[in-house]
Amino acid sequence: MNADYILLFFLTGILMVAGGMIMAYMISPKSENKQKRETYESGIPTIGKTWVQFKVGYYLFAILFLIFDVETVFIFPWAVAMKKVGMTAFVEILIFFVILGIGLLYAWKKNALEWE
Amino acid sequence: MEQIITYILLALMLIFSVMTVTSGRILRSAVYLLTVLVATAAIYFIMQYQFLAAVQITLYAGGIVVLIIFSILLTHHIEHRMENPVFWKAMISALAALGAVAMIAWVLKDAQSIQNVAGFIPPKMEDIGMALLSYGKQGYVLPFEVISVLLLAAMIGAIAVAKPALLQFKNKNFKQDDQ
Amino acid sequence: MSWDQLLFMRHEIILIILMLVMIIANLLTKDENKEKLIHLASILFFANLIAGFLPARYGSAFGSMFVANQSGIMMKNILNIATFIVILQSGEWLKKEIENKPRIADFFILILASLIGMFFMISSGHFLMLFIGLELATIPVAALAAFEQGKRKSAEAGVKLILLSTFSAAIMLFGLGMIYGSTGSMYFNEVLTNFNGSALGMLGFVFFFSGLAFKISIVPFHLWTADVYEGAPVNVTSYLSVVSKAAALYILMVVFYTVFINISASWTEILYIVSILTMTLGNLFAIRQKNIKRFMAFSSIAQAGFILLGIIGGAGMGMTVVMYFILIYVFSNLAVFGIATSVYRHSGKEKIRDLDGFYQTNPRLSLIMMLALFSLAGIPPVAGFFGKFFLFTAAASKGYFWLVLIAVLNATIYLYYYLMVVKAMFINQSDEAIDTIQSDFPMRLSLALCAIALIAIGFIGPLYEWINNVATAF
Repeated sequence: MNADYILLFFLTGILMVAGGMIMAYMISPKSENKQKRETYESGIPTIGKTWVQFKVGYYLFAILFLIFDVETVFIFPWAVAMKKVGMTAFVEILIFFVILGIGLLYAWKKNALEWE
Repeated sequence: MEQIITYILLALMLIFSVMTVTSGRILRSAVYLLTVLVATAAIYFIMQYQFLAAVQITLYAGGIVVLIIFSILLTHHIEHRMENPVFWKAMISALAALGAVAMIAWVLKDAQSIQNVAGFIPPKMEDIGMALLSYGKQGYVLPFEVISVLLLAAMIGAIAVAKPALLQFKNKNFKQDDQ
Repeated sequence: MSWDQLLFMRHEIILIILMLVMIIANLLTKDENKEKLIHLASILFFANLIAGFLPARYGSAFGSMFVANQSGIMMKNILNIATFIVILQSGEWLKKEIENKPRIADFFILILASLIGMFFMISSGHFLMLFIGLELATIPVAALAAFEQGKRKSAEAGVKLILLSTFSAAIMLFGLGMIYGSTGSMYFNEVLTNFNGSALGMLGFVFFFSGLAFKISIVPFHLWTADVYEGAPVNVTSYLSVVSKAAALYILMVVFYTVFINISASWTEILYIVSILTMTLGNLFAIRQKNIKRFMAFSSIAQAGFILLGIIGGAGMGMTVVMYFILIYVFSNLAVFGIATSVYRHSGKEKIRDLDGFYQTNPRLSLIMMLALFSLAGIPPVAGFFGKFFLFTAAASKGYFWLVLIAVLNATIYLYYYLMVVKAMFINQSDEAIDTIQSDFPMRLSLALCAIALIAIGFIGPLYEWINNVATAF
C-alpha cells in the first residue's frame, strides 16, 4: 500500500526531471560556439582556485538551525497529544521552551547571530 | 510489490553508502550520503513509521546534511582529492567490515524474539505524543526535558568554540580597547 | 506522580538551576566584570556541594526511569568534590588569557552541563536515560577540549574527542538496539529478568561494553586518550581524566552488577583479559612519555585497569573498593594536575624534564606532588596504598591469583615511573629550575584540600566502613 505511493513518488520525480530535460532537448533551438562553454559567458575567466573558504558564521547558523529543527520534531507529537494530556503537557513543553529560549537569547547576546 | 521496492531501496542505500566512503571528493560524499538518508526515510514509510520518516527527512536530510556541507565548505582544500588508501590497508579494512557484517547477520538470522517485541502495528502520532508527555511507566517526559538541556549545552559549546572569542564581547568599544 | 518525587532528583535540579543562573548572570554582566563570574561560579558550586551532603531521600521517579539510591548519591557527591576542585584550579587560567575573557562563563556552563549528564547517567534506570546522560556528559567536554581557539592542538583534541565519542556512542546505541530486540524493554529491571543470554543479547552486550570502554579508555579503545589529554587545556584534561572517567567507571560497574549480573561469568572473562591489557599497555607506554599530560594520560589508563580488577571482585566487596579507590584517585590525580597547571601557567613548561630541581624553588608544591604520586603508585602510608591493597584483596577473594600477580608486577613498573618524576624534582639538579611559583588563593586551597585528603583518607577507618555500608545497601 505504502510502497505503491513510494513508487509513484519516485516515478513522478524521475518523470518530472527527465521529462523536462527531454522536452527542452526537443523543442529548444540549437547553436554551438566556443564561448558558450565557458562558466561565465560574458565575464572574465577566473584566475586561480574557484573554491572559496566559507566563513564560520555559516556553520553557526547551520547548527542553530539544526537545534531548533530538533525542537520542532518534538513539538509535532506534543501538539497532537496536547488536548488529551491537558495542563501537564503545557507545563512540560513550557520548561522545554524556556530552556531552549535561554539558549537562543544567549546566542543572540554573544553576537552569534551577527554577520560580521 | 512492496518487497521489490524495499529491495530496490536497500540496494540504492548500499550502493550510495559504498560511494560515500570511496569517493575521493568530500563534497560528493556528502551528496551521496544525502541519498542514503532519503532512501532510509523511504524505508520507514514502507514500514508505516510515518513519524520516524518525517523526522528522518527534516533532521537528517534537512538539517544534518546542510551542517555537513557547511562544515566541508569551511575547510581549506575542498577541491582536494583524497588519495586512495594503500591496497593492503584497504583489504584489511574490507575484511574487517565484511567480518562484522557476517557476524551480525549470523546473529540476526537466529534471533526469533524480534518479531514478538516490536509488534506489527506502528504507533500513531498521538501515541508517540502521549508517551512523550506521560511520566509513569513507559513515559518519556524525563528524557524529553533532559534533551532540552543537551541541546542548550550543544548550542553554547558550538558558540564557545566556533565564534572568534573577541567578537563575543557585547560592547564593541571594549573589544577594541583590549586589542 | 507527586511533587516530592522531584526531591529524588535534587542533585540534578540544583545543577540545572545553577547552569541557568550562570547563563543569565553572564548575560547581565558587563564585559569588564566578566572575571567576577569566576567567584560567582565557585561560591554557587560550593553551595551545591554542601547541599549535596544534606540527607537525601531514596526512591525511583518517572516510572523507575530515574533511580536515586545511596551509592549513586555518594558517587554524585564525590563528583561534586572533584568538580569543585577543578573549578578552583581553573580560575587562574581563565583570567590570564585574553581569549578566554568573553568566554569565562561558557567554561562553567559547559562543565555544569556535563556534570548534569553524568548525574542523570548515574541515576538512570533505563538505557535511554543512560544514553542521553552519556551524550550530555560528552558533548560539552568536547567543546571544552577545543576551548583554546588560538591553539591548533586544542582544536585537534576537540575534533578527536567528538569524532571518537560519536563513533563509540553509535556502537553503543547499536548494542542497545540489540538488547532491546532480545529483551523487549529498556528498563534495567526488565532487561535483567528478560535477558536470556541469546546470541543477539550477548552481541548487544559486547557492543554496549565497547561503547562505554571508549569513555573509560580501556585498552583496545584507548587510542584517543593521549592526544586529547595533551591537546586540551590542562584543567579540561584533569576534568576529563578524573570526573568523566570516574562517572563512566561507576556506571559500568552498576550496569554490570544490576542488569547483567546473570551473565557475570561472561563479563568476568572479558574484564579479566581487558584489565591485564589495560594495566600493562598503559604502564609500558607511560614509561616512554616526556610530556607530563601524556604521561598522566597513560597512567590514568593503567589506573583504570586496576579499577577493573575491583569490579571483578563482585557486588558488595567490589563496589566498596572501587568507590573507595575512585575517591582516592580523584584527589591524587587532581593534585598532580593542579601542580601541572601552576607550572604551565607560570613557565609555559609541560615536560617532565622541566621539573628538575623543582624542590629547591618550590618545596611545598613538590611535597604535595610527591604525596600525590606516591598515592597513585600505592606507597604506604598515603591513601593510594590502601585503595590498591583493597582492590587486590577484592580480586583475590574471588580466587583470581594470577590476575593479582600480574597486577602486582604492574604496580612495580608503576612505582618506577612515578618515582622517576619524584627523582626529577628532588634529586636532579638544574640551572634552569622553574622559579618560585606564587599561585592564587583558590589554587592553594585546592592543593591543600587534596593533600589533607590524601593523608587523612588512609587513616580514617570509619570511612571505609561507611562506604562499605553504602555499597552493600545498594
